Amino acid sequence: MSSGELPKRLAITGLGTFVGGRVAERLLEREPEIEVIALGLHLPHRLEGRVRLHRVDLTEPAADSVLAEILEKERCDALLHAAFRQTPTRDVEGSHELELIGSLHVMNATAAASGMRKLVVASSAQVYGAYPDNPNFLCEDHRLRAHPDSHSMRDRAEMEGLLWLFAERHPQLVVTSLRPCWVAGPTFDDRVVRHFSGRTVTTLLGYDPLMQFLHEEDLLRAVELALRRDAPGPLNLAGDGALPLSTLLRLAGKRSLPLPHPLLYRIDFLNSLRRTGDAPQAFYDYLRFLWVVDTSRARDLLGFQPEYTTKEAWMSFVVSRRLRRYR
Amino acid sequence: MLELYEGLRQRISGGERAGISYEIDQFGLDPEYLERAGGLLDFLYDRWWRVRAVGVSDIPEDEPVLFVANRSGVLPYDGLMIAHAVAREHPTHRRPRFLIADWLATLPFWQPLLTRIGGVRACQENAERLLASGEWVVAFPEGQKGALKRYHDRYRLQRFGRGGFVSLAVRRRAVVVPVAVVGGEEVHPVLYLPPLAPHLLGVPLTITPTFPLLGPLGLIPLPSQWRIRFGEPIRFDDVASERADDPLYVNRTRERVRNTIQDLLDSEVRKRRSVWTD
Repeated sequence: MSSGELPKRLAITGLGTFVGGRVAERLLEREPEIEVIALGLHLPHRLEGRVRLHRVDLTEPAADSVLAEILEKERCDALLHAAFRQTPTRDVEGSHELELIGSLHVMNATAAASGMRKLVVASSAQVYGAYPDNPNFLCEDHRLRAHPDSHSMRDRAEMEGLLWLFAERHPQLVVTSLRPCWVAGPTFDDRVVRHFSGRTVTTLLGYDPLMQFLHEEDLLRAVELALRRDAPGPLNLAGDGALPLSTLLRLAGKRSLPLPHPLLYRIDFLNSLRRTGDAPQAFYDYLRFLWVVDTSRARDLLGFQPEYTTKEAWMSFVVSRRLRRYR
Repeated sequence: MLELYEGLRQRISGGERAGISYEIDQFGLDPEYLERAGGLLDFLYDRWWRVRAVGVSDIPEDEPVLFVANRSGVLPYDGLMIAHAVAREHPTHRRPRFLIADWLATLPFWQPLLTRIGGVRACQENAERLLASGEWVVAFPEGQKGALKRYHDRYRLQRFGRGGFVSLAVRRRAVVVPVAVVGGEEVHPVLYLPPLAPHLLGVPLTITPTFPLLGPLGLIPLPSQWRIRFGEPIRFDDVASERADDPLYVNRTRERVRNTIQDLLDSEVRKRRSVWTD
């Protein structure tokens, strides 16, 4: 497989997120020719002066034509859409506006700008949902049954639905969505990572599903590959090998606090609602049922082979947190 | 206080058990755990149910094999024992993976245990992937209907699913080995199934002579005498792969396999002198 060519002028939304910000940095460091155009409200400090920021609020009603104009003027040829909240907040309305309506605006603008040929969207494998009747490996054509209690995944699944309709209507565009499983690594931080950061980790009594993790570097590499090569459609991303939750905790030397789920779902209800806007099962069901993904499509179409296995990704997260504690 | 908590936690989750390995296959089988459980499996096989496996030598050696068996006895002991019989008595010592019903595949405490010793949730995708990766598979086309049938229906095969196993065997060129398990129906003889229990509890509750009468003791399976009879392998080598999607062919073949297993069952049941002794 050829190494493919990077877009010359790449627009990125969501520079404040891990994927948006770190991909921009990575490309600027390694590829001197590339020009990165930031679309959003503000820039992280590390990127100031290195990318050109166009102030756009994706939630504005007319954001699509503003975006189209910018893409046209900057002669962008690809867009990485990463403006999704890493961790759900209780601002349910706000994230709906940003993640679903904002994505719609991004799609429409991509179609309207003349030079565009590629759209890469940072989705998540959580859109499949964790269910007792999931097959052991979820392939990309599996139904998206995002957890009905999770507002962000509900929106994300709906967004993907719209995305594939959009891709059908615009065959001139290469539309890719990346669905990584949970990400771990030395710097990545989200709700999941925070749940696993303590010495004691709450688990569900009597359940011990197989889990996958993707290393943060692998995630960035996959995004870069998706920008280089044309792999239309959804792509699952995960480290090789799946391990039971109990084994992961044992590897990390963490204690587990197994609680019966009816109890946990009741005692954590208000707290979870206050912090994430969702009932606790929107998160804990992913520690209860299987949602392991099949990654052969990313390997075949993208030539993406993760450098870290699930175990290595997990251990790199664990070790980095341990060091941080001693510092 | 901390020690008390630790002790309790270990009791509950068994988290610090030695012998949980870090290398686990893609469907969750844990070789080290299996080795530790081997003693218990041998005990169940040799002492408790005194399993007699007949016809193991007919099982082919280097072809994909799909075992199709009658389902009995509520909990998946039959799958376990078939897998154990093949692993012990077949010259290849391969341990087939057995498919388990949804409610067991997610039943608290049972799920981690069954997954670790080789159980996989029964669905078309899983069976297909297992065969494709070179595993042998034990399937129970009757499913729940077989596991939860009343005692007076024992050894009468229920409807054989929708014939998914036939399409699978045709597509993957697998050899179907019919299996008749005799003795499984008596480990938890189901007298009555409260119809509301699945709705109220989320799991089917079965009334057996010992459960729930004796409480947790009633969960101990009764020590019936088992016979596992492996039938003549059925090959699909000369069947065009399009037949996998031909409902009439699938249905016909399904019934043929079902009748074969019913015949095996009838003859094995006739052979035994009592439920408890051979």
